[in-house]
Amino acid sequence: MNSPFIVSAILLIQNISLMFAPSQLETIYNQIIPSIALVQYSSEVTNQITGETSRRDGNALGLVVSPDGLVMVPGFVEVENVSSFNFRVRLNIKGEEKEFNAVKLRKPDDLNIMFLKINNDANIKFPFAQFVEDLPKVGSEIAMIGILGETVDYARCITTAHIGAILEKPRLTYCLDENVRLGFVGAPVINEQGNIIGVVGFDLSKAEGGEVYTRSGHPLLYQYALFKKYIQNPPAVQAQDDEQGAWLGVITQPLTDDFAEYWGLPKEGGLIVATIVNPSPASECGLRIGDIITNFNGVPIRAKYDSDVTSFTKLVREAGVGNSVKIEILRNKEPMTLTALLGTRPRRSSEAEEFEWEAVGLTVREITPDIRIALSIEDAVQGVLVYRVKSGSPAQVGRLARGFIIQAIGDLPTRSIDEFKTVVKMLQEKKPKEITFFAKIGNISGFFRVQPRWEE
Amino acid sequence: MKNIKVFKTIYPPFSFVLLCILSISGCTTLSSGGVLQSEILKAKAKVVPALVHLNPIKPVYTLGKKEEVIVIGSGFIISKDGYVVTNEHVVGESKKVKCILSDKREIEAEVIGTDPFTDIAVLKLPPQEKYAFVVMGNSDAVQTGEIVLAMGSPHGLARSVSMGIVSMTDRYLEDQRGVISVFNNFIQTDAAINQGNSGGPLVNLKGEVIGINSRMLLGAENVGFAIPINIAREVVEDIIKNKKVNRSWLGVNLQEMKAITEDTNKHGVVIADVEIDSPAYKVGIRSGDILTAVNEEPVHARFQEDLPLVRKKLSNLEVGKEVELTIIRGDKEEKVKLVPDVYSPYKGQEIEFAEWGFTASDITNEMMKRLRIPNKNGIYISGVQEGSIAKISGLLAGDVVLEIEGKSVKNLEEFMNIYKQTIDNGQPRVLLFVQRGVVTRYILVKNTKDDQSEIKVIDEGRSTTHE
Repeated sequence: MNSPFIVSAILLIQNISLMFAPSQLETIYNQIIPSIALVQYSSEVTNQITGETSRRDGNALGLVVSPDGLVMVPGFVEVENVSSFNFRVRLNIKGEEKEFNAVKLRKPDDLNIMFLKINNDANIKFPFAQFVEDLPKVGSEIAMIGILGETVDYARCITTAHIGAILEKPRLTYCLDENVRLGFVGAPVINEQGNIIGVVGFDLSKAEGGEVYTRSGHPLLYQYALFKKYIQNPPAVQAQDDEQGAWLGVITQPLTDDFAEYWGLPKEGGLIVATIVNPSPASECGLRIGDIITNFNGVPIRAKYDSDVTSFTKLVREAGVGNSVKIEILRNKEPMTLTALLGTRPRRSSEAEEFEWEAVGLTVREITPDIRIALSIEDAVQGVLVYRVKSGSPAQVGRLARGFIIQAIGDLPTRSIDEFKTVVKMLQEKKPKEITFFAKIGNISGFFRVQPRWEE
Repeated sequence: MKNIKVFKTIYPPFSFVLLCILSISGCTTLSSGGVLQSEILKAKAKVVPALVHLNPIKPVYTLGKKEEVIVIGSGFIISKDGYVVTNEHVVGESKKVKCILSDKREIEAEVIGTDPFTDIAVLKLPPQEKYAFVVMGNSDAVQTGEIVLAMGSPHGLARSVSMGIVSMTDRYLEDQRGVISVFNNFIQTDAAINQGNSGGPLVNLKGEVIGINSRMLLGAENVGFAIPINIAREVVEDIIKNKKVNRSWLGVNLQEMKAITEDTNKHGVVIADVEIDSPAYKVGIRSGDILTAVNEEPVHARFQEDLPLVRKKLSNLEVGKEVELTIIRGDKEEKVKLVPDVYSPYKGQEIEFAEWGFTASDITNEMMKRLRIPNKNGIYISGVQEGSIAKISGLLAGDVVLEIEGKSVKNLEEFMNIYKQTIDNGQPRVLLFVQRGVVTRYILVKNTKDDQSEIKVIDEGRSTTHE
């Protein structure tokens, strides 16, 4: 692994400015462009305030990564409020532009990329990009091949940049030294030896804190090691996947040096337990607000910064549902060990179950724990969240609006989406002329009469 | 849900007032008209002498600071000994208010009391010679279509009169944060009402005051609202007598019958919500019950605009004196006895904590409803100054401080005592435990003024991740 770097270093000393030679770029370009696709798709965008949806068309760079047609695309193709569909992959095969349909696979949550699978009934062997696991050093030059805009017929384009910075936390992160155009997000990144070592990434994934914090918006190199597992073992076709990981049920803050000093603790980091979900494995194992987690399942916790909190989340997630883990804590400066039986991570808002009731023009969502936190819904409030009210629908006439929490229909409680569905099913059979919803808006509840439009 | 934006504030920019004055080139003389003209002139003549231009300097708490702003509003004298009625939102927490009477004399009035629920304030001019005062009419007799005059200081232009008709006699106003005027409807008028008209009289052609101009619909033309004088009269009497309005509290939120049924034979009022631990809650009254009578007297609200009267009836019950409610639950009628408690103040006392740069207030039941505060314990952070110690430490407006230095905080006074000690002792770090929505977190306030190097922004304040 080390020898290429030694070679590079010698080159650096010999030629003051180390650069890809034009002929080298040409070779790389010709070798790689057959695996670069233009991906066109449609998406439905949900306005997060009104719940209204609109459609738009988009395109992105796709990189074919397996001979049977696995295509890697940037993560922006599908985000929290954007659902994409109708994927078409345009490839230039032996000088001829060809278009294939593709389906999306479940978006990984630890990296801001996505995969499509070309419907390959004809068993075509696609030209694909082969990656090499190699980590560049800061300052090294890289080449990347992206696509240009529509006016130049999405021409493939090669350019160079440098590794501008390398961060150690929260994971090994390679930053490029300049901005890239949208058509270069997802582009293969080639090192000086002509090996494809990764792709251009943009934004950290949500699990890495990307969509939550401000640490985003800079082009990165996603090294092969980060997504190797997905190429070897592609995610399932978009579907609910029960691999949600393990869950403890705490919200923590890093033990900064300031906190350590205040409490008279060693400045070694740790996680302050700030909120405990009740009930949860955390509440059941006796963890208390104010405890400081110093070791989880044998791994020392040395958190001092916000980014360390996400690493802890990852640690818990991977500790295995149903496993007993030892948690070492400090309580009033005294070390203690607790044993927690890890539960299954509850669904997140992006995976929340949705249900559309057409006769009323209403779409409701289950209230997942993260929705509860985001909207400050107390545990005592059980119901389903009004997510969308169709314009001109009976629900709108009845003055129901997005953000209401439906707690009952008539006398029947709708504490969960399943209860809601059961009630709806019953009403679909009875077809009453009128339905009364009991809903909570902020801290006040009220009744709302709705006249459904039953289909004959 | 109706989304009426009701505009309340009344601070015309000074330069704008100047511009307006400059742009008025001249006045046309009134030619004498018919009967209507003479009636208008007569009505105007009866009220204008009692008209007051108000210039309060009122304390406001904004972005974590207490500031004083000069406000322009209107008012009118209601008695020969000099009681003046205006809007609560004009005087706010001022103690003294500069008044300019219609003869242009400047006199300082004392604020006797205010009622934020109905937006009414009563001031008192110093006792001296007799003041000209208005006659209050009967707002229950007001009819849609009746000609009315609005008087006051639109955009600071004192002693202005505008004319229109009553557009609607009982307009129910609500906004999305819940009902904002629970005890009264409004008289809607198309007589021009602008910023600065607040607190001024709405007058009929007999020269009687039938309402207090207090709101306008933003973005609309001539859609103004006045508090009916019959509502105001009671409130004013209470304030003169007790310096405030005493109301009783059962803890029920009401909804009109139309919300649950189209059947006009069903009488009563819907109990939409019962506040936890309230008198009504303790005797088992629950959402969906229908209240049909109070002490055997029937109550009924078919439409929203019928609600204020019922609410008023409940709030007029005597605190501490047992009351019998008739409730329908399902098909059964039940009689429930309970003892009303004292109605929550509209808001808690608010204080600026200048050293750390934030403002905070006590939490009242009313604030919990209005501001969605999850917890009555603790103090509510109403604002945080940019660049302040509080801000850098990660305190946010809307947080509820539950503990300071490990001690639980019940009210502003308790917090203030510990806060002052830490300031006086020059304690470098102060620990707070706060509630933010449904999440709690620790905040370490760095109590350092002089050592700049200590004030560094690390990522605190945005670091809750759901685990």
